[in-house]
Amino acid sequence: MTYEAVIGLEVHVELNTPTKLFCDCPNRPGDLPNLNTCPVCLWLPGALPQLSQEVLEKAVTACLGLNCTIQTESAFDQKVYYYPDLPKGYQLSQHHKPLAKNGWLDILVDGRKSRRLGIHHVHLEEDVAKLLHETEGRTPVSLVDFNRAGAPLIEIVTQPDIKSSEEAMEFLKVLRTQIRYTGASECSLEKGSMRVDANISIRPHGSGTLNTKVEVKNMNSIQNVGDAIAYEIKRQTGCLEKKEPVVLHTRLWDPEKKMTVPMRSKFSGPCVPDPTVPAIFISDTWLAEKKAKLPEMPARKVDRFIKSYGLTRDEALVMSQDRDLSEFFEKTVINYHQPRKAANWITSHLIPALKELEKSISEVFLTPDRFQSLLCMQDQDKINAKAAREVLLRLLDENKSPEEIVEEQGFRQLSDIDALEALVEGILQDNSSGIQDYKAGNTKALGFFMGKAMKATQGKANPKLLKELFTRKLA
Amino acid sequence: MNSTIFSYYPSEQKPGGLKVAIQPNMSCEGWPSNAGSRALENYTALEDATVIRLLKKAEARIVGSVHMGELGFGLAGDTGGQAVRENLADVALITDNMGEARVAAAFSGLVGFKPSCGIVSRLGLIGLIPSMECWGVIGRKIPHINSVMAVICANDEQDFSMTGETLPDFNKGLLQFKPSETIGVADKYEERLTTTERSAWKTAILAMENAGFQIETIKMPEPKLFAQVHNVIAAVEASSSAGKYDGVRYGHRAGGTANWNEMYLKSRGEAFGTLMKAYLFQGAYFQFENFAAFENACGARGHLLDETIHVFSQVDWIASLTTREKPHATKTESVAKHYEAFDFTIPASLLGLPAIQLPGIACDGNMDFGLQITGSPLSDPELLALGAYLEPKKGGGAEK
Repeated sequence: MTYEAVIGLEVHVELNTPTKLFCDCPNRPGDLPNLNTCPVCLWLPGALPQLSQEVLEKAVTACLGLNCTIQTESAFDQKVYYYPDLPKGYQLSQHHKPLAKNGWLDILVDGRKSRRLGIHHVHLEEDVAKLLHETEGRTPVSLVDFNRAGAPLIEIVTQPDIKSSEEAMEFLKVLRTQIRYTGASECSLEKGSMRVDANISIRPHGSGTLNTKVEVKNMNSIQNVGDAIAYEIKRQTGCLEKKEPVVLHTRLWDPEKKMTVPMRSKFSGPCVPDPTVPAIFISDTWLAEKKAKLPEMPARKVDRFIKSYGLTRDEALVMSQDRDLSEFFEKTVINYHQPRKAANWITSHLIPALKELEKSISEVFLTPDRFQSLLCMQDQDKINAKAAREVLLRLLDENKSPEEIVEEQGFRQLSDIDALEALVEGILQDNSSGIQDYKAGNTKALGFFMGKAMKATQGKANPKLLKELFTRKLA
Repeated sequence: MNSTIFSYYPSEQKPGGLKVAIQPNMSCEGWPSNAGSRALENYTALEDATVIRLLKKAEARIVGSVHMGELGFGLAGDTGGQAVRENLADVALITDNMGEARVAAAFSGLVGFKPSCGIVSRLGLIGLIPSMECWGVIGRKIPHINSVMAVICANDEQDFSMTGETLPDFNKGLLQFKPSETIGVADKYEERLTTTERSAWKTAILAMENAGFQIETIKMPEPKLFAQVHNVIAAVEASSSAGKYDGVRYGHRAGGTANWNEMYLKSRGEAFGTLMKAYLFQGAYFQFENFAAFENACGARGHLLDETIHVFSQVDWIASLTTREKPHATKTESVAKHYEAFDFTIPASLLGLPAIQLPGIACDGNMDFGLQITGSPLSDPELLALGAYLEPKKGGGAEK
């Protein structure tokens, strides 16, 4: 018998608002422990939560980016459980009336075919405190850091539409791109601003039943999510083949051992409507305003880049992956009339360089104007391609124009015909054996002469002119 | 000052206006705030509750904090009424979850007022039942209560559960009341009363009629429903609210425990009294085991409100006794008995309606059960005006 997997994801995304969900404390979990706290997020007796309008707006924007229907009425519930990371004994979340429902995202399967995956709902909730377990000392202690308590999260719950680990990874990439575009979150699994739980079950191929699922947690990269799902599909298929029952529980992904290990039985606490935070009512006018503010999303941008700049679909896809980078590209080509060359430079040189530095385009000194002048200098043979690549790297770190760097570093290309001619003649005089090789049909000799000339000019000679001169003189 | 009446009072009393006694679940900066429970032992308020801040600004004197029932649930050990009766305070603020302020006032022969839900900020009230609790005010004189309400009824942008509607205006003073209005009495109300209660009730009806009011029989929902719905919803909310008393950050933490779970169990076991434990168990039962009953209760609460609001299209006010002959509300040993004791005051708490308790009207011999008048939402100033009109001027029955 062959089996198929049924996969659903629960994705927590930490919104990047300046303040927390129910108080004015800074939303900076990484600060000194317990610095960003107040009676509300410590849940001291007598404190009352105050829903942040800004968080609501960001959450709605993110939901619009996921093609969801925003609900006219949504409300908070108390998810009751006792744990020291949750000082009031319940987490405020939206269980019965979520903020948004019925979203979708299109993913590319096998790099070509488009498939639409459903999002069941998106709800708002508060993050809990962070526990630090000090086990090194004489008496092990557990410490609680409340900086993260009350930080705003949205939880995205997909339909069980996903069929493979590849689809799950693709879905997460598209989701990340969409939410990053809306500006609501950086969505980094590595940095903890996105957390993914996967629910996986297995059934005989083609049957419509939903079997007992297993929840897997603790994946801190998209690759980990894929690996964990692939492992779990294999494990559960093994269980079915051995006629062992699959039990409802939660497992942890161990990235070292590359396997999932059982953690606990799945949580199922009560969810009671919260009487303190009033229900959220969203009017059509307010929603229309938020929709109007939504940026152009990647799918439409790709089409426009193809149409307006003559990019290929692949080039357009790369140029629109990251909103900041797509805006950088567009600003570059306002005054630069070779959009495909700009796109190729961004793809082949700029993106790898940023990756190397682990920075985004907004974190470096390079501006679209400077990038544009750099490309022009190369077009006009003022510098050669090799020098242009070096100038590009310096433009990321230094707050200078490309002209300044070219002058400082002496990158300017040597294009003076008289000077080059003298150089060529000198080299030919000193290397008469090479001339004979060339005349005997050894084309490598030309490369040898070019190398000599480049060395003599520290790589600054215009290679096109140089080649022309050598060819003419050797003829 | 007197430490059998006050759990805390400042050593230096400031001179000033109205003397206000509070309870130790009302945050007053630097004052002990244990809310009458070991769960909050040694807890000190970090800042003033909005109500306290407003009162201080209006130059009221916060004279001290009385003793109170555990977490404001019921009246066991409450000394708010005594503080006012013995003239140590002009008014006392009593948390009203199911009628505590009105019943405490009735026991002490005082006026007790429970405002409409959502017109007084709950910020800084260490509460238990968020959808019902409010700051009740008890006093000897209605003008005192009215002037406190004029100060504390104010929008607070930090309390998102406030009505958001235009607040009632208490600043016009007590309006001249026109007794051409109708007062409704529930059909078959007398059948629910004991002989003594019935006799007191008849005196009250007579007093209202003599004052010029027209008494009309109205059809009210089944009385037991109010208590049952209140019990389910309030117990669930109490269970959630008391979840924070885990001994992790503050309050009582049991010693000698091996792990978190043990610490929780032992700390909470030691922190709460028997009645509170029983109540929290009930709440947890509905949360974890019978959520459907909770949902039914929420639905029923909506119907009860609709039906009661409909009654206010027929009459202006609804009257009943405030207290029962027994069980006595300060001496209840089970949740069921507790609810019996607050039988008449529960509807206004469940539905968020304003209600006033008036002394000296519903009496049988020297037994004063208290007359309770309930108004429609936000009719608070008019209700106080009615009370001032109806209040006996020199004890014993209403005078014109």
